Amino acid sequence: MSLLQDVAVGEPDPIRAPRVSGSVLRTVGSKVLRAVITLGFVVVFNFFLFRMLPGDPIGLYTRGRNQDAEQLAELRRELDKPILEQFLTYIRNPFDPGIDSTRFSRPVWEMIGERIWPTFLLLGTAIILASIIGIWIGIRAGWKPGGRFDKISTGTTLTLYSMPEFWLGMMLLIVFSVGAFGIPGMFPVGGIVTPGVDTSTPAGWLNVLWHMVLPCTTLTLIYLADYSLVMRASLIDERKQEYLTLARAKGLRDVMVRQKHAVPNALLPTITLIFLSLGFVVTGAITVETVFSWPGLGLLTYEALRGPDIPLLQAIFLLFSIAVIGANLIAELLYVVIDPRVRS
Amino acid sequence: MIRRLLVGITAGAIALAPAAVVPQAQAADPVVFTVGMLGDVDSLNPFTGILAEAYEIYQLQYATLMQPSSTDFTPAPGLAESWEESADGKTWTYTLRPDLVWSDGTPLTANDVVYTFNRILEGRYEKTNYGNYLRNVTSVTATDDRTVVVGVSAPSPIMERLAVYILPEHIWSAIDGKAVKSFANEPEGGQPLVGSGPFLVAERQDGQFIRLVANDTYYAGRPKVDELIFRIYNNPDALGQALKKGEVDFAEGLTADVFSTLEGVEGITTYAGAYSGFNELAFNMGAALSDGTPIGDGNPHIQDLAVRQAISHAIDRNQLVDKVLNGYGTPGSTIIPPLYSTLHVDPGTQNYDPALANQILDDAGYAMGPDGIRIGPDGVPMSYRFFVRSDSATSVKSGEYIKSYLAEIGIEANVKPVTEDALYEIIGRGEFDMFEWGWVVEPDPDYQLSTFTCAKRSYKDGDTIYADLSDSFYCNPEYDALYEAQSIETDQAARADIVKQMQQMIYDDVAYVVLYYYDNLEAYRSDRFTGFVGQPEGSGSLLFQYGTYSYANVQPVGADTGDATASPGATASPGATDQGNASGETASTSGGVSTGLIIGLVVAVIVIILLVVLLLRSRRSASADSRE
Repeated sequence: MSLLQDVAVGEPDPIRAPRVSGSVLRTVGSKVLRAVITLGFVVVFNFFLFRMLPGDPIGLYTRGRNQDAEQLAELRRELDKPILEQFLTYIRNPFDPGIDSTRFSRPVWEMIGERIWPTFLLLGTAIILASIIGIWIGIRAGWKPGGRFDKISTGTTLTLYSMPEFWLGMMLLIVFSVGAFGIPGMFPVGGIVTPGVDTSTPAGWLNVLWHMVLPCTTLTLIYLADYSLVMRASLIDERKQEYLTLARAKGLRDVMVRQKHAVPNALLPTITLIFLSLGFVVTGAITVETVFSWPGLGLLTYEALRGPDIPLLQAIFLLFSIAVIGANLIAELLYVVIDPRVRS
Repeated sequence: MIRRLLVGITAGAIALAPAAVVPQAQAADPVVFTVGMLGDVDSLNPFTGILAEAYEIYQLQYATLMQPSSTDFTPAPGLAESWEESADGKTWTYTLRPDLVWSDGTPLTANDVVYTFNRILEGRYEKTNYGNYLRNVTSVTATDDRTVVVGVSAPSPIMERLAVYILPEHIWSAIDGKAVKSFANEPEGGQPLVGSGPFLVAERQDGQFIRLVANDTYYAGRPKVDELIFRIYNNPDALGQALKKGEVDFAEGLTADVFSTLEGVEGITTYAGAYSGFNELAFNMGAALSDGTPIGDGNPHIQDLAVRQAISHAIDRNQLVDKVLNGYGTPGSTIIPPLYSTLHVDPGTQNYDPALANQILDDAGYAMGPDGIRIGPDGVPMSYRFFVRSDSATSVKSGEYIKSYLAEIGIEANVKPVTEDALYEIIGRGEFDMFEWGWVVEPDPDYQLSTFTCAKRSYKDGDTIYADLSDSFYCNPEYDALYEAQSIETDQAARADIVKQMQQMIYDDVAYVVLYYYDNLEAYRSDRFTGFVGQPEGSGSLLFQYGTYSYANVQPVGADTGDATASPGATASPGATDQGNASGETASTSGGVSTGLIIGLVVAVIVIILLVVLLLRSRRSASADSRE
């Protein structure tokens, strides 16, 4: 934890509280407005996108079931309302708790509510771990490019990055869950909690933590390169800057030059990247959720697509759009705060 | 130095972990039987769910009046101990077992049956899943607590096969016709759902597991295990690993490659059970609406019996079983699988014989063209659209083999992979020549046989053409007459004779080339559990049957018959460590919690040590840098 603080708080200048001026407000206002317009567009687009999917959901569901044509026609009539009427109902309140999934006959937002926390927990933890470790690796590698640490770390993170998620997950599962090469299986094969364990107790939290180790490790290893490479590249750029020569000329030790001068400036693109990737925290990682049977949103999306369960898909995609647009907005606003050049 | 210390601690933690997870075997520990499956239940409300996983839970939770027997699927007593058809075939009288009670102690009477049937007959929503069973029913009355009298409009063999879950009126009467649509039927406040089957749903976590407890009041006696857990895995490989590790005791619906990796593993028994499904190559026999109006654009060649016969002789069904199913299945023949031994007929004439196939085509005037593709008498090359399902690996694979078989007899199959959704619509509009798909056949043959009747061809609603059940557009008045005859024949042997004639007819007319009957691949920890009952016994599936035979009989290895309190941990076997793990993973008592606790602590310690090491290293290197 202290690593990040070291680097982030090291240089007070860029992080000083922004003076609220008219231009800043205008910048912020236009960014928020743009986000809202994008969101509005997505809400409308979402509706028509899923109406274009082929398929007769009723017919497909009931193929091989004991139902006659009149029953099917009746079911179909219930769904077959004029497109305009459907759109007006939808646009009035896309978050209406009364919207039911066609497949599960349950309110879609309630289902999403159940699935969002496992995804949030898993992806959130993985992104935090990956960014902390990635930034640390990036700093070490970027400060001495071509050095031994750089060669090893860049090679390793790139290798991990290019691995298919499900394959890495499956390997970890076989080795650390079932046990192989003399390593005993220590972690569960799948799920988020042992059936019967109450998750509201400390023992329950530890049980969840135990289930989270392998999927979280998989995601962290895969995402590592995202952060370490960006951090490394921007630090390499900073190394050429003349203000560092000045800092050295002042007689500062190398570590001071790095931590107090180079890193805070090199950190800007990485921080943006972290906030952008936070948008994907809710979308889930479908492959890793599949390998480890993690009951998250990624899996729910897959189930919804199999239908296709249009109300559920619509709600999920709306949520994803909000998350991505929201994260983008936060990243842009944060830039205003941390980068004085944007303000002026 | 620090690094070495870290390695030491990690190694210690690893050494400690397996020791820690072996819980103390206690006589009071419930016996838990855990099943791993690859799909979640869509709803616990029997009026809503449509997936096979859901029906597996319904039949555990709610008993039916009768169920197909484990020997040959003939109707066997359930809640009803006997039933009788009146001489005119217009009345059925069911007698319930004496002293039936719901799991909450309320008596289960004829009134519950009447309530359930009426609810299905009168409810718009309730009709969806079960209406077809009761389609001939005109009246339902309870003459006393144990007797239900049902009036029917015509003799109805289905009245011996009512797969209708009888619901407790005292619970369900509170849920009206509107509320039932979104009623989840999930347990609340830790109380299991009130039911009459061998197990009761006690807990459900979406996408994770469903936990059931044994029902003390089950009419056939309390099951021999205390808890039954269905865990959901989203990946067949992970499910196989979970069985190896002992996280589950039974793995249902495995893929062939995972199944193969489990063969010969100590403590695990693999079981390829015969299943009630088949896959077919279907033909467009002249697409039309149910009133006879032609639709679609099927190639007229396909309507020539000689062409279909030649194709049937060109297909090597044995090789398809070997290559597509990895050997886990049997070559196909008719539309009623041999699993249903009382109904299946073995016609066995359309053998793999490419020479004969070529001969048939030569004789019928389809001469070989210069490019290896035959030309029909109408001058059109034998080149057909052949749809396979892109969502299914076996379908795509079958498609490749079939294409090569047809190439050998001078027929070009243009393989078109499409999604099942898309294919369903293409079939409904008759815009195909051939396709590959499959059916799962119920113990009552009526539904499957109906898919070849003229009336089940596509229909028009407004301007849109919708698919009905027929996907071959087979239409034969002789067949339809037999269909009517079997639907009112309540003598089982006489009905079976008619059903056999109908199968033979479809086979001889080659409306389908039934490619194979596939097995249901299952594997279980035979070092821990025993007592599974196949349906049919010895060859059929162990779980996901039409009935709950295995669940009612499964028991821990080494337990005295009827002694349900023995702990699985007590059985000595080479897989002892695995067992310990499993009990820790599934038991709801101290074992699971302490295991989780210890492992969690170990992980937390490792993470903290890692962070400290990283921090120290960065400090140290920082000072090293500053000396430069």
